[in-house]
Amino acid sequence: MTNHWIDIKNADAILIMGSNAAEHHPISFKWVLDAKDKGAVVMHVDPKFSRTSARSDFHVPLRSGTDIAFLGGMINHIVQNKLYFREYVAKYTNAAFILGKDYSFKNGLFSGYDPATRSYDRSKWAFEKDANGVPKRDESLTDPRCVFQQLAKHYSRYTLDKVSATTGVPEDQLLRVYKAFGATGRPDKAGTVMYALGWTQHTVGVQNIRSAGIIQLLLGNIGIAGGGINALRGEPNVQGSTDHTLLYHIVPGYMAQPHDGWQTLAEYNKANTPVSKDPESANWWQNKPKYFVSLLKAWYGDNGTPENGFGYDYLPKIEKGGDYSYLFLFDRMYRGAVRGGFIMGLNPMQSVPNSNKVRKALDNLEWLVTSELHNSETTDNWRRPGHDPKKVKTEVFLLPSAHRLEKEGSVTNSGRWHLWHYAAVKPGGEAQPFGWMIVKILNRVRELYAKEGGVYPDPVTKLDWPDHYDAEEVAKKVNGYFTKDTTVGKKLYKAGQQVPSFTALKDDGSTVSLNWLYAGGFTEEDGNKSKRRDASQTPLQAAIGLYPNWSWCWPVNRRILYNRASVDVNGKPWNPAKTVIAWDGAKWIGDVPDGGWPPLATGKGRHPFIMSKDGFGQLFGPGRLDGPFSEHYEPVETPVAKNLFSRQLNSPCYKFVASDMDLLSKPATPKFPIVLTTYCVTEHWCGGGETRNVPNLLEAEPQLYVEMSHELAEEKGIKNGDGVIVSSIRGEVQAIAMVTVRMRPLKVHGRIIHEIGMPFCFGWTTPGCGDSTNRLTPSVGDPNTTIPEFKACLVNIRKAEKLTELSM
Amino acid sequence: MHCNRRGFMKLSGAALTCLSLGQLGNALTPVKAYAAGLKIDGAKEVLTVCPFCSVSCHIVAYVKNGKLVSSEGDPDYPINQGALCAKGAAMLTMTTNEHRLHKPLYRAPYSEQWEEKSWDWVIERIARRVKETRDKDFLETNAKGHRVNRLDSMFLLGTSHADNEECALFHQAMKGLGVVHMDHQARI
Amino acid sequence: MPKSFLIDTSRCTACRGCQIACKEWHGLPANKTKQYGWGSHQNPQDLNPNNYKLVRFTERLDENGVVRWNFFPDQCRHCVEPPCKDMADTVVEGAILHDKETGAVLYTDKTRLLSEDDFASVRDACPYNIPRRDPETGLVSKCTMCNDRVHAGMLPACVKSCPTGAMNFGERDEMLTLANRRLAKVRKTFPEAMLVDPADVNVIYLIADKPEFFGEYVVAENAPSMGRRQLLAKAGRPFQGLFDHLT
Repeated sequence: MTNHWIDIKNADAILIMGSNAAEHHPISFKWVLDAKDKGAVVMHVDPKFSRTSARSDFHVPLRSGTDIAFLGGMINHIVQNKLYFREYVAKYTNAAFILGKDYSFKNGLFSGYDPATRSYDRSKWAFEKDANGVPKRDESLTDPRCVFQQLAKHYSRYTLDKVSATTGVPEDQLLRVYKAFGATGRPDKAGTVMYALGWTQHTVGVQNIRSAGIIQLLLGNIGIAGGGINALRGEPNVQGSTDHTLLYHIVPGYMAQPHDGWQTLAEYNKANTPVSKDPESANWWQNKPKYFVSLLKAWYGDNGTPENGFGYDYLPKIEKGGDYSYLFLFDRMYRGAVRGGFIMGLNPMQSVPNSNKVRKALDNLEWLVTSELHNSETTDNWRRPGHDPKKVKTEVFLLPSAHRLEKEGSVTNSGRWHLWHYAAVKPGGEAQPFGWMIVKILNRVRELYAKEGGVYPDPVTKLDWPDHYDAEEVAKKVNGYFTKDTTVGKKLYKAGQQVPSFTALKDDGSTVSLNWLYAGGFTEEDGNKSKRRDASQTPLQAAIGLYPNWSWCWPVNRRILYNRASVDVNGKPWNPAKTVIAWDGAKWIGDVPDGGWPPLATGKGRHPFIMSKDGFGQLFGPGRLDGPFSEHYEPVETPVAKNLFSRQLNSPCYKFVASDMDLLSKPATPKFPIVLTTYCVTEHWCGGGETRNVPNLLEAEPQLYVEMSHELAEEKGIKNGDGVIVSSIRGEVQAIAMVTVRMRPLKVHGRIIHEIGMPFCFGWTTPGCGDSTNRLTPSVGDPNTTIPEFKACLVNIRKAEKLTELSM
Repeated sequence: MHCNRRGFMKLSGAALTCLSLGQLGNALTPVKAYAAGLKIDGAKEVLTVCPFCSVSCHIVAYVKNGKLVSSEGDPDYPINQGALCAKGAAMLTMTTNEHRLHKPLYRAPYSEQWEEKSWDWVIERIARRVKETRDKDFLETNAKGHRVNRLDSMFLLGTSHADNEECALFHQAMKGLGVVHMDHQARI
Repeated sequence: MPKSFLIDTSRCTACRGCQIACKEWHGLPANKTKQYGWGSHQNPQDLNPNNYKLVRFTERLDENGVVRWNFFPDQCRHCVEPPCKDMADTVVEGAILHDKETGAVLYTDKTRLLSEDDFASVRDACPYNIPRRDPETGLVSKCTMCNDRVHAGMLPACVKSCPTGAMNFGERDEMLTLANRRLAKVRKTFPEAMLVDPADVNVIYLIADKPEFFGEYVVAENAPSMGRRQLLAKAGRPFQGLFDHLT
């Protein structure tokens, strides 16, 4: 989230799209309804009428996978009707930038596309620069090559009739949303966007969010109270686990994973440190080498020396352009190229697409370490229904893990608040925290290498690694400390003392930090700030529900990101009634500003979007792999044969794996004419491995269901409560029909298209409740993230003669 | 209505006294239980965070004699202010759930069952498998002749159930081993 | 003055925090439930000895083609003059108690002494079809208002868990004031909104749709403001069990 949970109450318009907030982030609705009480309009745009829709002012059903068409229409509406916040757009976004000659868009493709590699040469999307290397700008926004004019042209194609025919949303319903949200383009109005997996789980996932980013920049809704792009992060600590990075493509603190093209630290730094020639651009990432070297020092301690790149030389380097995400891992496992590994607190046999394939793939492992609270479809895959355990060679370990209440440590909420939790009771039985397990296991591996030697032991043996797991000690190291006496400002810090902020981090090996974003959260002066429980506020902060002394949030306790965009060039808030920051003539008051420089008008300021190289909000986003503007493409499995916006049916860059089990349905196939979307439920968590084993929760949502319209049910001869079989080209799933007015047939391309929805939380280890819905979904993913397209694929449905997966 | 940590509210008059048995006639339970006090009377209050969605609602765990006896939303946390959804409200039975795994389990190749093992045994065995795999498959240079220090045949999946400190250590451990197949719920 | 609940269904998101919080506080075991032959999010299907609180889900397409999905966190209304108690008193004194201080209507262990027919009469006396009997133990049970918590100055477990202000609890006059204020606001959008039997019950529901679109026993048949005797008479169901005992 750019903003935070409480801040939702400051919105005048709330667009909930790609999220079912009331069901999946139920407490968020405390703040949504708070805004609604004060007159905000709450809109839910989603294929299914859900508990979120029930409490919104209105619900608009749209076909899964057509969000960009819907939002493209909104961008067009905002531009055509001049609803945008002109001053903000001209001064704070890259609307005024002039695009280079190489940029073009034709037939659904941007310039630079290479069909052989299914990728773009993004150098074709560069900006024109002046003699000093600073991007040229036309603040009148009239230059035909300026971003604003190109944006207007691009989205002018998103006419109401085409958008309506694509999304299945009638034109009056489109306009209802466009007008209500477009009204927040005024300086004194705020609109917020709440999204979640409904946007990310598409082959155009990143561009869905980009579309919202464009809208929010046009309306001046970024950086302000009640605004922002608010990703409602999912899993228990998925914000923290992303920050601390259980991912292949980045290292902690959002820096690139080294690849084989960057053989040395110098090469890595050169390639990853952006350079701006604009003196008014903060270009914050110019500090990256300081953060990266501090991370290396945290990993390798005294063994990280200038000679070995502070340990850079030890690190694994991926193949340049290689993809090591789930989809590709399971594909390699299926092919027998993977020997063993760890699946900790995750149930991929339920939650990864094409379950039939991934379940088979897991059989190919020689060994597997799992850790869970309960037996799951993953831990017990070797004895799954219809499969003979005597044929499975895998040696499986199942380690009992401690529950949240049984250990201490920190988590990070969606608003980036760093929150400490305490151990209430001892772990049940012999359960242990994950941290305890990995410390023990790695220490034993290190001992074996020390004793017996082996292949290149240094990367393992030279790690700066604890003897035992102590969350507080790790938290201190996450913040970081000095390795030699250092003076910051007028204060002397001794070697071993905590760094006060990431501004104190250095690239010379004199500082250690496991994550620069968290530096400042555990200091000499204030200790572990994630434990703070102080609700005090200034009146200015109280007016917008800001709690600067409650816990701590990254970065530097800034509660609303990009908040320099909430004021004009003189530092005066656009909306004084909801001030985030304000310049009092000598200093900023309110939130922690995005950098302490004075306002721009003083000549000593900086452009507000300090994390982007040029300092401007990116209406034109040349960093994404699949285009600088968003563009509607159909889902990979689509019920229509053509794209009304171009000749390019699907994303030209989407990722996929190819095997005999990765079948895809052809567009508009009569065999599978129905669109399936998948989701969670309030009462269960993701794959359900934990919550299905809590009897009180299973009681409330006991069996796999499929939500479908009365019209489709009638067409198929299905009654509410009937057993049904849902099939895709990849598999079949049994479920109970939930026939409901909450699913509506949609008029798309002039004909009726049906959509059905199913949760994916039910699995065979809970008897009689059903099994993985993901046996239906395809292994295709977004080009930027490889997040799979769980939200739209093609299926058919029929009444079941008898049920074997569910008790009747 | 003002709430403090336990969600006390203002009661009029002397209503804070419990009903006496006399007031309630000769009834047995559940009335008797009221006179005997609350199940959380005398319990230690420990603050924790709900393990589900990233609203990260705060929860007060009530602990008596080392046992969890109740849990409720923390009214002081400015976001949930004491409220919890169905999952958060189930924290007591979720934690005390007898269905949970209590011991390390091991399934030998081609076996049809789990067997209980000690922690020492499983850690030794896992460490051995990790080292064997690394020693067999560690790739020092790739086809281009670039130094890559990589172990493609091993992976880590998970988990966002882990704390920040645990994630930081997992990442570091995998970097040391050369594991690059690393992924978790953030990509789902 | 007793305590009252205001349950503003116009704010309910059916997160079911209340339903689960109730079970957790009272240590009630789970029922085995199914979707088969049911096909609804409302689970369990009805109140039962293990569920004192149940969120009912009712859906329809209204006359304007708009989906209306109504949520009704059902529970005992803790009647100002509880007819169930009057009925039970005629059979087993002390089976049902009324805590005048809090307004809680409490079912005690003595309800086991009620026969199946007695129970049927007690249930029939309830205009809202709340009491449930465990066929094995004979114990009759329902919402206790968390009377133990209330006496200790705490909110009922369901109210404590509610994120949106749908569930409210406090002094009766405060709740009535709040109810009327909320009603005035909700009526601007839903003119048919109403408070359910506010004069007769201590659990006052605000509903923004016609009662029949929330469930079968949402309002007392002849509410509002009927006296206890009238309510008893109007409950009008066969007093079979009662008469058996009287003769």
